[in-house]
Parts: sequence; structure tokens; C-alpha cells
Amino acid sequence: MKLLRCPVNGVRPVSEFAYGGEIRSMPADTCSDIEWAHYVFNRSGVPGVKVEWWYHIASGTWFHAERDTVTDRVLRTWLPGDLPPAADGKAA
Amino acid sequence: MTFSTQRPVTAGAPDIGASTTPAPPGRLPVIAGEWIDRTRRLAFTFEGKAFSGFDGDTPSSALWAAGVRILGRSFKYHRPRGLLSMANHDINALMQAGPRLNLRADVEPLEAALNLTAVNTHGGVDVDRARLLGWFGGLLPVGFYYKAFHKPKALFPFWERLFRRITGLGRVEFDAPHVRTPKRYDFADLLVVGAGPAGLMAALTAARAGAKVVLVDENARIGGSLGYQRGGNDDTLARLRALESQLAELPNVSVRTSTLAAGWYADHWVPLVDAKRMTKLRTRAVLVAGGAYEQPAVFRNNDLPGVMLASAAQRLIYRYGVKPMDNAVVLTANADGYVAALDLLAQGIGVPAIVDLRPEGDASDLPTRARQLGIQVLEGHCVFEAEGGNRLAAVVVCPTDADGRPQTSAPQRIACDGLLMSVGWAPAAPLLYQAGTRMGFDTTVQQFVPRELPAGMFAAGRVNGVFALEAKLLDGERAGAEAARFLGFAATSRITDRPTETTSPSHPWPIVEHASGKNFIDFDEDLQLRDFYNAAQEGFDNIELMKRYTTVGMGASQGKHSNMNAIRILARIRGRTPGDIGTTTARPFFHPVPMSHLAGRGFSPHRETPLHSRHEALRAVWMQAGIWLRPEYYAAPDKTRIELVREEAAAVRKAVGLIDVGTLGKMELFGPDAGEFLERVYTARFANLKVGMTRYAVMLDEAGVVIDDGVVARLAPEHFYFTTTTTGAATVYRELQRLNAMWGLRIGIVNATGAFAAMNLAGPGSRAVLAGLTALDLADAAFPYLAVRIGEVAGVTCRLMRVGFVGELGYEIHVPADQAARVWDAIMAADAGVRPFGVEAQRLLRLEKGHIIVGQDTDGLTQPDQAGLTWAVKTDKPFFVGKRSVEIVRKGAVRQRLVGFDLTVAPGGPVPKECHLVIRDGNIAGRVTSIAWSDALQRHIGLAFVEPDLAVDATPFFIRADGGLMVQAKVAPTPFYDPAGARQKLA
Amino acid sequence: MPYQLLRFAFSSKHPEPRMFREPDRLKDTYDAVIIGAGGHGLASAYYLARDHGMTNVAVLDRGYLGGGNTGRNTAIIRSNYLTPEGVAFYDQSVRLWQDLAQDFDLNLFYSTRGHFTLAHTDSAVRTMRWRAEVNKHFGIDSELVGPDAVGKACPQMDLSCGGHAPIMGALYHAPGAIARHDAVAWGYGRGADQRGVEIHQQTEVLGIDVEAGQVKGVRTSKGYISTRKVLCAVAGFTPRVCDMVGLRTPIYIHPLQAMVTEPQKPWLDPILVSGSLHIYVSQSARGELVMGASLDPYELHSTRSTLDFVEGLSAHMLDLFPFLSNARINRQWAGMADMTPDFAPIMGKTPVTGFYLDSGWGTWGFKATPVCGKTMSYTLANDRNHPLIEGFGLARFERYELTGEKGAASVGH
Repeated sequence: MKLLRCPVNGVRPVSEFAYGGEIRSMPADTCSDIEWAHYVFNRSGVPGVKVEWWYHIASGTWFHAERDTVTDRVLRTWLPGDLPPAADGKAA
Repeated sequence: MTFSTQRPVTAGAPDIGASTTPAPPGRLPVIAGEWIDRTRRLAFTFEGKAFSGFDGDTPSSALWAAGVRILGRSFKYHRPRGLLSMANHDINALMQAGPRLNLRADVEPLEAALNLTAVNTHGGVDVDRARLLGWFGGLLPVGFYYKAFHKPKALFPFWERLFRRITGLGRVEFDAPHVRTPKRYDFADLLVVGAGPAGLMAALTAARAGAKVVLVDENARIGGSLGYQRGGNDDTLARLRALESQLAELPNVSVRTSTLAAGWYADHWVPLVDAKRMTKLRTRAVLVAGGAYEQPAVFRNNDLPGVMLASAAQRLIYRYGVKPMDNAVVLTANADGYVAALDLLAQGIGVPAIVDLRPEGDASDLPTRARQLGIQVLEGHCVFEAEGGNRLAAVVVCPTDADGRPQTSAPQRIACDGLLMSVGWAPAAPLLYQAGTRMGFDTTVQQFVPRELPAGMFAAGRVNGVFALEAKLLDGERAGAEAARFLGFAATSRITDRPTETTSPSHPWPIVEHASGKNFIDFDEDLQLRDFYNAAQEGFDNIELMKRYTTVGMGASQGKHSNMNAIRILARIRGRTPGDIGTTTARPFFHPVPMSHLAGRGFSPHRETPLHSRHEALRAVWMQAGIWLRPEYYAAPDKTRIELVREEAAAVRKAVGLIDVGTLGKMELFGPDAGEFLERVYTARFANLKVGMTRYAVMLDEAGVVIDDGVVARLAPEHFYFTTTTTGAATVYRELQRLNAMWGLRIGIVNATGAFAAMNLAGPGSRAVLAGLTALDLADAAFPYLAVRIGEVAGVTCRLMRVGFVGELGYEIHVPADQAARVWDAIMAADAGVRPFGVEAQRLLRLEKGHIIVGQDTDGLTQPDQAGLTWAVKTDKPFFVGKRSVEIVRKGAVRQRLVGFDLTVAPGGPVPKECHLVIRDGNIAGRVTSIAWSDALQRHIGLAFVEPDLAVDATPFFIRADGGLMVQAKVAPTPFYDPAGARQKLA
Repeated sequence: MPYQLLRFAFSSKHPEPRMFREPDRLKDTYDAVIIGAGGHGLASAYYLARDHGMTNVAVLDRGYLGGGNTGRNTAIIRSNYLTPEGVAFYDQSVRLWQDLAQDFDLNLFYSTRGHFTLAHTDSAVRTMRWRAEVNKHFGIDSELVGPDAVGKACPQMDLSCGGHAPIMGALYHAPGAIARHDAVAWGYGRGADQRGVEIHQQTEVLGIDVEAGQVKGVRTSKGYISTRKVLCAVAGFTPRVCDMVGLRTPIYIHPLQAMVTEPQKPWLDPILVSGSLHIYVSQSARGELVMGASLDPYELHSTRSTLDFVEGLSAHMLDLFPFLSNARINRQWAGMADMTPDFAPIMGKTPVTGFYLDSGWGTWGFKATPVCGKTMSYTLANDRNHPLIEGFGLARFERYELTGEKGAASVGH
């Protein structure tokens, strides 16, 4: 089973985590209705290294993970508000 | 070393020394290192006939020893088949033993009293009526079933029923028990797969460096080829014993035999499967030393019983003491074949000829030795065909030309009852593939070998293209040291690169064409050489298409003996190299794994509230609510469900009822920004909610869809307590946490769902009941409708909310979970009139009030305006989740609205059900979401989505009930019951 | 023995021609380029050539014909969807399916087995009734049945599911069928090829040229093609291809896994689906139980397998069929599902003129293969959306007019 590093609880199997999707920023209030609809529905489905929300269920910890959506390699994880650590390139 | 196995390891038969009693027919005298215990006979039956074997036998070895040559029938033509590999890919010798199906007779341990039959025969293995199919072979070329049976269309079901009678292998027994096999978990630094010479050396090397090593082998004993490729003496067995004793000195190696590394999964997660269970191993590195599968030669009738892989004969001899045949021709293209010939001779088996495909023969001294022993060695020859009816009687041998084609002008017919095929190997690389290893074709060894291994993956031995014994040992040492260094241990090895072979152990084209065919490539699927040419002719000339059209490799052995030859054939057809052709994907599992092992114990978790035992005592009838069990209603003798539900509802309307609502999600929210947080996550206003008051709350997603609702209570300026739906609790809590991880408001949120129990005491008599249990001032002025109070009930500090979900004076009492029973008991004891009611009565009561249930009266696309929740949506707030979407949707036309309706049903007439459709002018115009008979109102009432123009009071519309009968309903204002809400606001 | 087989006996040489040619190289220009030689792409090519006379068409695939989700799905065909748009669309597909083998002169093993969607909760019963009512309204053979009917169709099943998820009813869809999935791609491929369409395997699309909002050409690993019409029928690769024309969509990619047992003597007649247990299962013509579950829980552009999948699905299978404890799982695999927010496809014209989408096929694309070919070929040929796909346009999301198929596809298939 895939392993993930929770920034608080360390390396745990992926079954302890929930996926929260890619981190996306909400457009400003002034955006058009179409822009808003695109924000609500559209996704960057293109594969690559993405920064995502992940949740450690047992401890209730949300964190950010930089993950390659082709290889499933997690490059680094960190808590929201913290600075991302240097990518170790190892599957955390 | 620790050792675990399903079978005794070295106990039992003595290693060396001949038994004085003569061996039974078909058995050899005691063989050093044999796996059988000749003192323990096991009686069993095969196809209704009695046999006996020894402990340590497999069904195939015991039957072969008893002279049985037809162990099964082939999948398509039902040809007689014997044994091929004795290495877990004899798919033609699958057997049924009671509820056990597709039992692999070549490797499964023989057990006493097994009643075995061959799978997939019609009338038994010897007289299988379906063998007639073989005569029609010419009518059934590759893909024949795509070309026929569909015209005329009406006849296909007939043909299909026929196919379904003859297809399949083993038979499922429907009364077989549900086997529950608990799983285990284990951890290691290094998993070594395969305990042959390379694996043993690798494990020794890594363990000596300090790594915690798990060494697995699917065979009953370790040793691999050391045990059975002996060349007529016991030198390799001595090597094995030496390695074994070195291993025994290392406490950090765990050796597991009869254990299969069934697949490789992300981050080195490997299921180890044995007869009893699956152990999930988390390891930091994996070293694959699983060897290679010996590959069959392809010639006419290469499937006759008696034709077998050389290693199969060697396994029969050295593991089971079985005499594989009396006289064997050895067909070879490598040194291994000569070694096998020596093994046969040493056991007194005649070897009339060694047929070497290579014009130059073998470079070693083995041919000379063979000739000295009286064996005819025919270099540059091939076996053109095998002869025999149900078993091999002779082989026809002829020279080959420069291109390897048979020259049939002067064939030589050699009588024999055995033919050993030793023409090449294919790597046992599935785990390597699954881990993402880049493999490449090495022409020196005519084999795919690892070119680029992912981090933490290592390979040694034959799977790595290394075949000579000394080289394998060195390669194991090298790989073991590399793995140890990867793991952070200091380790060195005598070599640092993979040893290279000088000659190829695999022949590039061990295939002989024959005009009459029956030269099989895939024994699982009965595929002949010409099937591949024909498939290519039809355009299926890349490996993936060829696999799918021919089904090569799709049988139960997953191509272990067939894929490599298929690749060679395709390469020749396309004028390319096997490396250009490439391989198909090697999916888990390495060998099939029982579903019981995978399922494990089979957990089906559910949650019970702290009041569960009280409900049980009250004879609750349970229903599932998400993961929870809730009382649907409480049973009573001689009364029907519907009577009881109505009685429970009536008790609430007329007296007082008590319901467990503890499954609601319950959240604590603290902090200076708590009000602001609620403003953002719910549609209504909460910043202005007064301390001591509650308010209904609706939650939307970003698309503006209603996803949850509940009640928010303000306990203090910076302390809120709120509920969510039962099924939404976990996801709502999670999403709220995420939102604040983003927003960074000064709040703390706690999921108190399990910490609190909750019950709703409702009905006109509720105040009086409660008054006897609490010092709280329950007067309306002191505790008005929608207020929240903290106070003691029955001596327990509770949170009480005056809410009106069921439309009566009522108090939702939230109490610490461990005190819940005390409060419940006190309430029940306070007044004999308190009647517990279940979910079904509550559904009715809330429907009378027109209150929606999110998920029943809404669906995955319902906007708040559609569900009549506009009043709860405050778009004058600067922001809440879903606000912008609601505003955008409001610019368009509303597609449907939820309305109340009532209807008068003629006695005996149809009553619509939930999700029956609203029909207008023959078109769908909505659907019923809730409907029930209301005793209080003496009519059927319900909620329905209807088209907006129908959503006007008193508008009639039609619902199509069961049987297509139309029932007229009429839009009615909600609440149906007590529209002014006087009862819940009772002063 | 059917007479069709006799020719094999009377012919010394295999009397079958190539099903599809292998063109040497790409032409400079085509009237249309179809990306993706799966069932959908080839069906579109077939009907373009057969019904619309467009034969100067190239079908490109970075892999091989039928090698994507066409060859990875569990081959279930049904039309008991939830929305009027969905029901009408899939109904048309089922009708096409039923005659496809005759149309192709290729046996697809189209096998009508009956399809039960099991309900284990009262809310599931409600959803099944909803679907049944909508289905019946549109003339689809579909009904809500009780546990007794399930037990009759599949007497071996434990209707109590081990006591913890008793079956309360089911949606029964008599026309539910399975088919030999690979053969569908071959049949369409052969038919398209015979009519002049070129199928280029191992030809990867590297980019799409768009000028002033109009498709101009396609850059491939084997050279440049100029064309004004491109159909994207690439399932799990949709976001990558859309990115080439600067189009953003709601499509996201999750793996969908499946597994099979070793062949068993056939015993399971109907197709069974359980949303609560996350199971769908049928028994193939080879006797294998073919099984799937729900989507993997996170985005991944990979067809890797997981052990959790086989563990969970096996446990749930044994709840329904405890006697399968001794049956063995032979193989597992995965496909990449292109999911949409409303579990309905995204089809038709796009803001880029000449760029057409046949996408968002998630876990339900196989059954739609013929009707997608029909409607997409019409749409390409006429540059006008076929009426049956009006509800599936990309623009519906901007308008917040989602199709609401979500309720029907809680477990998909």
C-alpha cells in the first residue's frame, strides 16, 4: 500500500488518508459568472506535479502534498501556513 | 534463522542412505533430499479410483508414480494431458476436491482422503466425450468464435448455452462454507523472493550486513535448482546443506517456504500468501531471485503425456522419488538438458538420444560425457513430432537446415515413453514489472533481463540472465550486497556487475513447423503455432493485439510457458527482434490467490449509540442509517409495523415521546472568529445569533447544492455547538477543517459526535416530564422556543435545545455519552406515558411539518431555492460557500420546486410511493420525494418536486403510481400540521 | 457446427484477410482526424465512412487498437439510466448493440443476461424506484423487484449478505448484457478500414494547431497532418489532448480497477451490481467471474493495481457469495476513467471550431460505444450536435445545467 507522510504523524499507509483535491485559488468577487462557473466545475486534469489537499483521518490533520499524478510519487508534504520543505524526491 | 512453513522441512526422510525395502512401482529408491516421507502413506482417489501416495507428494507426483498418465484434459480440444512443469503452471492438471476447485495438482500438497477429479471433462478424464472437439480442430482456428454462431441472430442464445455448458474449469460448490482467514502484517528491510542459489546467497549477504531479511519460496523447501538440477550426483545438494546451515546462524533471516510473493504494490507492499493466510509485508527493498520458467519446445504433439520439461522430470525424481519414465529422449539447446540426461541415467532411466537443436552442440564436455555413457547425441537435430495415442510412444527426430527447419527426408523414429524439453527459459519477472522495472532483451542469453531497476528493487540469478551455478551464487552475493548498501548497511561482494554467460541457455527458435499442426504454444488455451500466423495474417500483429485475439497468456498460468514463444513467433513474422516486440503487462497475481485469503475476516463495521441496549430491551427493529444502526420502530406483539409507527407518532402528537437522535453529527466550535466561521459555511446569519438561542442551518457546496443541514446553538459568545445530518457528520467535519486550514480564522472545531448522546423528548407532555427531572426553569419566558440551555437532567449536566423538528413542544437533550443511559432511564421512569419512537415515526412527524430531509427530499443537484429554503439563504452576507453559484443560478429559470401535496385515495386505490413520477401531458414533470398517511390529518401528504408553474397552492397534478395508475394530488401549503407552529412554540 | 466454420476445413490456407491494414505513413491532409483507436473513435470513424461518406479519415492511437478502456472494462451494457437524456441515449445504444454482430459479420458474444442493481437500504430502494419509473416512462424494460425475484434469478446468493446488509430489493433490467469488448473495437476497425479509413497505431499526437479558434492541423510522432476537424476520443487522456487546444474541462482522471477469477463452470447468469457493497460482477463466456468496484479515491494517470482493491472487493463478494472462498483471483488490472461532476459525458462541439469531444466517459463508456459513433459522426460531418447529445455539451456547466445522472451511477456500470 502506498505510503504518505503526514507532517504531524509521520509516514502512514494511504488508507489512513483522504484526498482533498488539487489546491485551487478562488477567483476574486469581481470575476464574471462564467469565470466563476469554470472555477467551480473545471479541473486541471492534465497530469503532472500538483499541490493537493490531503487529510490524515485518524488525527484530523489537513496538509499539502506535492505529488506527481503520473507516478504517484509524493515529493513533499507540509502543513498549511508552513513553508514547503525542500523536495527530497523520495517517496515519502 | 527462523523458519515457517506449512510442512515439515528436513524432518522425515533421511537425507542419505538407501532404504532396504524395495521402492514401490513407479518410485525410485530413496533419493537423498527427497521431500516425501515414505513412512506416511496417504490414501486418496482420482476419478473414482483409489490411489496412495506419500506425505510430501503432490497429486501429480503420486498419480504419476502410480502410472497414471492422463491427469487432465485441455481447455479447448479436450486432449489428454499429463504433466508439464511440476512448477505451478500445469494448468491441464487442475483438479476438483469437493469445494476446492482448480486445485493445482502439480504443486498442492497431497492430503489423505482427497477425492480428486479432473476439471473440465465430460464423462471422466479417460473417456472425455468432449475430446471429439479435437477432431474438429480444423474447423476451429484462432478466433473461430468471432466468425460464426451470430447468424442467424436468433440462434446465438442456443450456441451460447452450449458454450456455457462446455466452458470453464472447476465447479463451484454452493454449500461450501464462508472461509474467514485472518491476515497478518509483517515488516522487513529486505524481502528476497526465491530461495534458490541466488536468493540464498543474496539473503545471506544482506543478513550478514545486518538487514532484517524475509526469504520466501513458493516451494515446500528451499534450494531451488540446487535440489533438482544435480547432474547425477549430490554435489549441489551438499552446497544447499552448507548454505542452509550458514543461514541457520543468522537470527535476522526469516525463511518462509510454501509462501508466494503474489504481487508487488506501491512502496514495497507485498502480499505473502501461504496455505493458511495472507501476510502483508511492508519491506524497504525487494530482491527478486525467483528464477526462470523452463519453456517448452514446439513441435507436433508436444502435449502428449510423457512430454515434459526437463526440470519437471528432475523435480519428479529429486523431490518425490518418482520415476518419470523408462526411456527418455532429451531435446535440448543448452547444458541443462545434458545435466538432466545425467540425472535420468543416474536413476536407471534409459536415454536413447539427446537431440540438440544447435548445430554446434554444447561447448562443454557434457556431450562427450554423454556419449561415453552410451547416449546418442544428435546435434543440429530437432524433434519433428511426437507419436502416441494417450501417451508418448515415440519421437520422430530429423536434422535441421541452416535456418533450423526440419529436413524430413530421413527421419529417425525413436521409441520412448518420455521426452524432456530443455530448450530455454523465461524470467519469473512479474514482480519486477509490477514495480516498474525497465526490461530489455539480452541477445546473449536470449532473454528479457532488467535494464533499469526502480529504487529498492534488485534482481539476481536466472531472472537476471545468470544461469551457471557459480555465477548465480556470485550474482546473489552482488545483489544482496547492493540491497544492503541501499538499506544503509555496509556490505561488499566479490563482483560488482552481473556475470555474463558465454552461451545462451535459451534457443532463439525452439519451434518446429508441421503441416498437421498440433504443435502447441499455449497449453492453457490450446493454441497452436498456426494460430499465431493466422492471427498475424488477420492484422493482430503486435503483441497486445495478438494476446487479445489468440488469448495467449490469458489462461490460468498467465503465459508462464507461452508468452516467450509467442513473442519469438511474432518477432519472426515481423522480421524484428523479441526486444522490438516487447512483452505484455504482467499484472498481479503471480499465481492465483484464494478469495478467502484476500477477504480476510471480512469486517462490516457499524456504530451503535450509547442507548443501544435500551433500544434492544424495548424490542427495537433496526435499520441502517449510514454506518449507524437506529430503531426504525419498536415491536410489540400482535401489531404490524404500520400500526406501531402510527401509534408512536400519535403518542408524540397527543402525549410525549422520546427518540434517540444521538447519530446526528455534533460539533463544538470555539474562538473569537467562531461566528464569522459559521457565517461563511452556512447560508444563514449566525454572527447575530444570541447566546442561548439556536438557528436552523443549511450548508451548500461550491456549486450551490444543498449538502447538509442542522441546528446551530450559541452557548457563549465564542462557543457554538451545532448538529449535522447523521450521514454527513464525518465529511462535514472534514470539510470544515479544510476550509479553516485555508481561511486561518481563530477557531477550534471538535467533532463531538461520539462524545455526546442526544435524545428528543417531544409532545405536549414533554415539559411536565422534564420538569420533574431538572431544576431548569422551563417556563416559556425562561426557556422559549429555539432557545438552548445548559442544566442538569437527572443529575447529569446536559445541553437542552427547544427545537421543533417533529412539530411539538420538545427538548433535544444532548448529554455526555457515558451518562446517556442514566438520563434516558430517568425520563422513561418519570412518566409511564413516555413512549419511545423510532425513525419511521419521526419521518412522518416531520413530514406533517413539511420539514425536508437532506438526501431524501433533495438530491445531488438540488439548489436551496428549489427545496424551499430561500428563507434560510442570506445572500446579503459578503460570503458563504456556494453563494456566488446561488446568485448565478437565480438569474436563470428555476427548473423545479419542492412543494407539499395532499391527496385523497379511493378506498383500495393505489397510493403513490416515494420516487413515483409526476406526469403532465404524458411527460415527466417531477417526482414524489416523501409521502405518508397522516393519522393526525387523516389524509395522505407528501413532498414532491414539480415544474415551477405547478408550484402554486391547490394546483392539481397527477402522480403515476404502481401499475401505471394515475393518482391526482393537489399542491398544499406546508406545514400541513399546525401551520402556525403554535404547538412547538407552546407557551 | 455452423456452416461458417466449414470454410476453415476446406481451405489449406487460413481464409481470412487482414482486419485492418497497416498504412505506411500518414497522408498530408485528412478531412477528419480521430484521436483514439478505441471503441468510440473507431465507431465514429466507421459511421463517418458508412453513413456520411467521409472516408478520408485517419484514426490515430499512441498505443494499439482497442488497448485503452475498450479492452479494460467489464463489458456491461444497459440503458437503465436516471435522466431522460441518459435513458434516450443509452436506449439507442442498446438497440445498436443488438444488431452490431450482424452489421459487422463478427460475433461479439453479445449476451443478454439481465441486470440487477441491488438495494440494501431504503434510500437505495427509493433511488431504484426512481430509475425504474423514468426507465419505464421511456419504454425501457426496467422494474423495481423484491428480494424474492433476486433470489429466483440468482438462487446461490446470500440475500442477507452475511446478515449486515440484507437485500431489500433491486432494479431489474432484463436487456442488461455483456459483450466481448475487444471484438467491438475490431469490428468497428475492420468496417472503417474496409471503407477507406486509415488506422495508425503507435502514432502519438503531440500537438494540435489552432488558428483564430479553428483547428488547422495535428502534430504527431509520425509527421504533420493538416485537417479542420479533430475528434478527441481518448478517455483517460482527454485532459492532455484538451490542453493542446487550450480547453479546460471538468474532467478529472481516477483509476478504475477490475479483477477476474480463474475460469469456473458457469453458474452466475445475471449481471449483479451492488452500490452498498461496491460490486459489479458477471460471468464471462470463458467462465471467469469479472468483477469491479468503485473508482480509486484520488487522481492518478496510471493503470497500476492496488492490493486494497482486491482485498475489499473479495470481502464484499464473499458477503454475497460465501461459497466462493476457495475460488481464486487470477488477475487484476485498471483503466483510467475520465470523470465528470454529474456522471454524464461531455460530447459534441467545443469553443474551438473543429475540435469535438467524445469524453467524460468515466466508468460507463463501453455501453455507449455504438451510439457515440453514431452521434459523433453526425456531429463531425454536419458540424452540428446530434439531437441525442444536446444534453451532454461542455457548456452545460457554465449554465449550471448539469444532467443529474449522479444518482444513477453511485457505483457506475
